[in-house]
Amino acid sequence: MDEEPERAKRWEGGYERTWEVLKEDESGSLKATVEEILFQSKRKRVIESHGQVRLGMMRHLYVVIDCSRSMEDQDLKPNRLTSTLKLMEAFVEEYFDQNPISQVGIIMTKNKRAEKLTDLAGNPKKHITALQKAVDSVCVGEPSLYNSLSLAVQTLKHMPGHTSREILIILSSLTTCDPANIYELIKTLKSLKVRVSVIGLSAEVRVCTVLTRETGGSYHVILDESHFKELLMLHVKPPPSSSASECSLIRMGFPQHTIASLSDQDAKPSFTPSVSCGPGLSLGGYFCPQCHAKYTELPVECKVCGLTLVSAPHLARSFHHLFPLDAFTEIPEEEHHGDRFCQACQGELKDKSVFMCPSCHSVFCVECDLFIHDSLHCCPCCIHNQSGP
Amino acid sequence: MASDDDTNLLVIVVDVNPIWWGQQAQREPQFTLSKCLDAVMVMGNSHMAMTRTNKLAVIASHCQDSHFLYPSKNWKGGDGSGDDASSSGDGKYELLSVANNLIAEEIREVMSKSKGNSTDTMLAGSLAKALCSADDCALQYMNFMNVIFAAQKQSVLIDACVLDSDSGLLQQACDITGGLYLKIPQKVALAQYLLWVFLPDSEQRSQLVLPPPVHVDYRAACFCHRNLIEIGYVCSVCLSIFCNFSPICTTCETAFKIQLPTMVKAKKKKLKPMS
Repeated sequence: MDEEPERAKRWEGGYERTWEVLKEDESGSLKATVEEILFQSKRKRVIESHGQVRLGMMRHLYVVIDCSRSMEDQDLKPNRLTSTLKLMEAFVEEYFDQNPISQVGIIMTKNKRAEKLTDLAGNPKKHITALQKAVDSVCVGEPSLYNSLSLAVQTLKHMPGHTSREILIILSSLTTCDPANIYELIKTLKSLKVRVSVIGLSAEVRVCTVLTRETGGSYHVILDESHFKELLMLHVKPPPSSSASECSLIRMGFPQHTIASLSDQDAKPSFTPSVSCGPGLSLGGYFCPQCHAKYTELPVECKVCGLTLVSAPHLARSFHHLFPLDAFTEIPEEEHHGDRFCQACQGELKDKSVFMCPSCHSVFCVECDLFIHDSLHCCPCCIHNQSGP
Repeated sequence: MASDDDTNLLVIVVDVNPIWWGQQAQREPQFTLSKCLDAVMVMGNSHMAMTRTNKLAVIASHCQDSHFLYPSKNWKGGDGSGDDASSSGDGKYELLSVANNLIAEEIREVMSKSKGNSTDTMLAGSLAKALCSADDCALQYMNFMNVIFAAQKQSVLIDACVLDSDSGLLQQACDITGGLYLKIPQKVALAQYLLWVFLPDSEQRSQLVLPPPVHVDYRAACFCHRNLIEIGYVCSVCLSIFCNFSPICTTCETAFKIQLPTMVKAKKKKLKPMS
């Protein structure tokens, strides 16, 4: 069990002299240090470009939420369960924004059992409604890691080989009640290529360390609510896919949106109940190109013929993961001798360093650099240098 | 009524491709680039006159570059207390006259400096620049979609006012961000269309009867022939779309596993002994 070298725990290291970070200048003011700290916090999200690593674009992720008695603890306001569910809503939205062709399912575990809150689906609204209703649920008993993992694996093992199979566990209790040997289950998970990650809300638990190490996931314990949000958002980005995952051509349909008129004799009811005009009938929709079944929303898997239906912008949303933008080089303001204006927003450059794109050498301010790397994913000036056909 | 601290930024991107405008001047002499810019300035002035805190930016986009016409880098401060040459003597709101003069000056500079004779326009670049401050060309598609998704995330509406031919990309942009797409039937009435359809902001639009949304074609184009397809094959690694099954992906060069039908073992039948 202890063949892997354990990394040194924090209490085993020496003292950290955190007070030495703050330095006063001649007049005794801390302004420069405070500005430096703010500047660093703006640049905190380190842009790791994976380069040529293959990423798993189609992901099947199960999120296991612990609903045991320890979730009623009030160290996260108003209590751990409410805070977790609210952060999960934000996570689900961000997840489908970055991975539009992936699916998510939610499992709750309490009272030594596990049950599915929502099945694996590609529609965010269903998950968010379920999460909002789950706030009233009672937290009782102990969680069961074994039961929740085997419930997730029952569905994940039937998923095709080219998708990534992931489980994210949010565990707040320090105990787990399992009906069988969990180390056997870990071996099964490893053979099925399921990657399990854990976010702990209380403290580090040995069985979770082994679980995540064997399956190739990550294990973190939160410090406070903002750290919790950061750790959750780390799981939104597609992970590098393992070399053993197969690559195949997936057959997909791209249906057209048609709006039938009120007098149209052929207006059919659609399978998915439309949110805007109540369950049942809707005037317009997407028709499956293979079997002409009608759906109101995309992406969806056709219930009649099994064809995955998406629209081209859904695939386009994932392109920036495949062609990531390089990080800009940081130049201190004194060394920069060109324009005093940011090329993107036309505002004056007044921060202590400017950022230069390595390919077109145009300079940007701190806010534009953050915006370009987080949301835009393309340099506005490099676009101009691409010559047309 | 907008509250005092509610700033609305309107960014107008004008396509000033010299080839198209030159041909247009020969086709319809009553509607030229200067008339179009007059209409744009009317809309900009109305926007700024509606609320004191409203802001305006105008970008000209042509084949190689996009250029901020207003506000300009060389002009500091928005209080209109610039040099006397730019203030008009007829009692007009200072900001408007400064804006008009600046736009006229900058457009003259842009037109005299532009070179090249392609008929495309760097729309993605202008939109990207527009977002940083507030034709279907295949190379620009990816950057264009990135810009549209960033706009949708920031709740920025993109409207399109099309003079000549329909653009699928702009239709998608307007549909995804929630803006309006309109192809103008009569170009000389541009100012009226701009003021009626595009000037109200998003909260007021729900109370007006505006042109209905167009049917947007969301079909994907296959990477091999650029045809629009309804059913296609998508590579799981690089997400490129093909119309036919092929054993190797041309973009990322991965070999695919071909799905063979599963072999069913023949069941051995037990022979019943004949009695």
